[in-house]
Amino acid sequence: MDYAEQSECMMQETSQQIADREMIARVVQGDQSAFSALYDRLVDPLYSLGCKMLGDVVEAQDAMQDVFVQIWRRAGSYDPEQSSVFTWAILLARSRIIDRLRARGRRLRVVAASTDDKDVSITAVDASVVESAADISSRNESAMRVRTIMTNLPLEQREAIELAFFGDLTHHEIAERLGEPLGTVKARIRRGLLKLRERMQT
Amino acid sequence: MIPEEQKDQAALYVLGLLEPHEAAAFESQLSANAELRDIARELREAAGSVAFTARQQAPPAALKQRVMREIATETRERKVVPLRQSAFGWVPWAIAAGLAVFCGLLALDRARLERQLSDIRAVDPLMQTTFYTLAPSAPAPADAKATVAWQPGRQSGVIRISNLPAPQPGKDYQLWAVDAEHKDPISAGIVRVDKNGVAQIRFTPVEKAEHVKAFAISLESEGGVPKKEGPILLVGST
Repeated sequence: MDYAEQSECMMQETSQQIADREMIARVVQGDQSAFSALYDRLVDPLYSLGCKMLGDVVEAQDAMQDVFVQIWRRAGSYDPEQSSVFTWAILLARSRIIDRLRARGRRLRVVAASTDDKDVSITAVDASVVESAADISSRNESAMRVRTIMTNLPLEQREAIELAFFGDLTHHEIAERLGEPLGTVKARIRRGLLKLRERMQT
Repeated sequence: MIPEEQKDQAALYVLGLLEPHEAAAFESQLSANAELRDIARELREAAGSVAFTARQQAPPAALKQRVMREIATETRERKVVPLRQSAFGWVPWAIAAGLAVFCGLLALDRARLERQLSDIRAVDPLMQTTFYTLAPSAPAPADAKATVAWQPGRQSGVIRISNLPAPQPGKDYQLWAVDAEHKDPISAGIVRVDKNGVAQIRFTPVEKAEHVKAFAISLESEGGVPKKEGPILLVGST
């Protein structure tokens, strides 16, 4: 599949994405019932992200309260040209969580693990995938697909993506932690993300 | 066709991993390149999906109640915004009134200061005295000089002259006040120096001189003249 075909395929909106956009449009108008529906749609992946990055459920709940208030306040800034509502919310949540990590001077436990022992880190990532695979009753089919795809990515790409996404690190720090040249790390992240995207669309 | 390096930058950009200056530079590229924007969007979507790799956990139901309660509070506050705006509509008027009062106080303060200055001038002669330095002009000796201390309020002054030889017989030195509101200099009387060429004399002009620009000494016929006729020997302003 060449890039043009990929783009055409990726631009096809799912019914869920359309519904998300309708919900966010109503939220912009101050519709609390739409916000309630959007909360139900987003809270599980956002909360899971918070728990993973913060490593503390209580702190994750505080973070989610902040994140959803931000979603309420900033719904008007959502740009459908840039991303889906889901991705917008995920990246907003990630940004707020990173702010918390920086404010509290902490680092992601996964990052620390990967620093201490790369093999342990890889094991931890695999364990996460195994747990999720075991979690067959998962509410989200997309989550299972992503985990499967991630599991099948080349290890070095998955590792780079995990550090880049979940860790509060600059690209220079990621390269340093992985002991690889910066250019190599950048290419791994980019190739891994595009492969993930491509496989999500097929 | 987007170069690989630019795609790499796009991946880092969507993950927020670029330094601020790098992000700014990349955004300028994004704004000029639709294909790059498409790639950035796809990378962004891919990055967002990575969140699914986190172990799924369900939040407590109380979290939604907390969030909805805060949203409801914000909504109520938003609704009262117009009321707040109208409630604060008096602010500009209050500021204007405050300024008016302030200006009034300033005016009162200025009047008070002027009164104080006037009182001080009344008490302290130096405060109401203007000094004039008179320099020689031919045919006066070069070292001749005079100083006038003039009190307009009192219409009187004191002149001190030095190094001015006594005039020849039949002549006198006459002091003149050059006033802005008088066409001709106003006579301030005859001044006589001693044998050392020195004089210190209190004087009063023959007419009211409220805007004195300069004082001058001329050589006139003995006993003085009502209107200056002779040559100026000393003249000076403040």
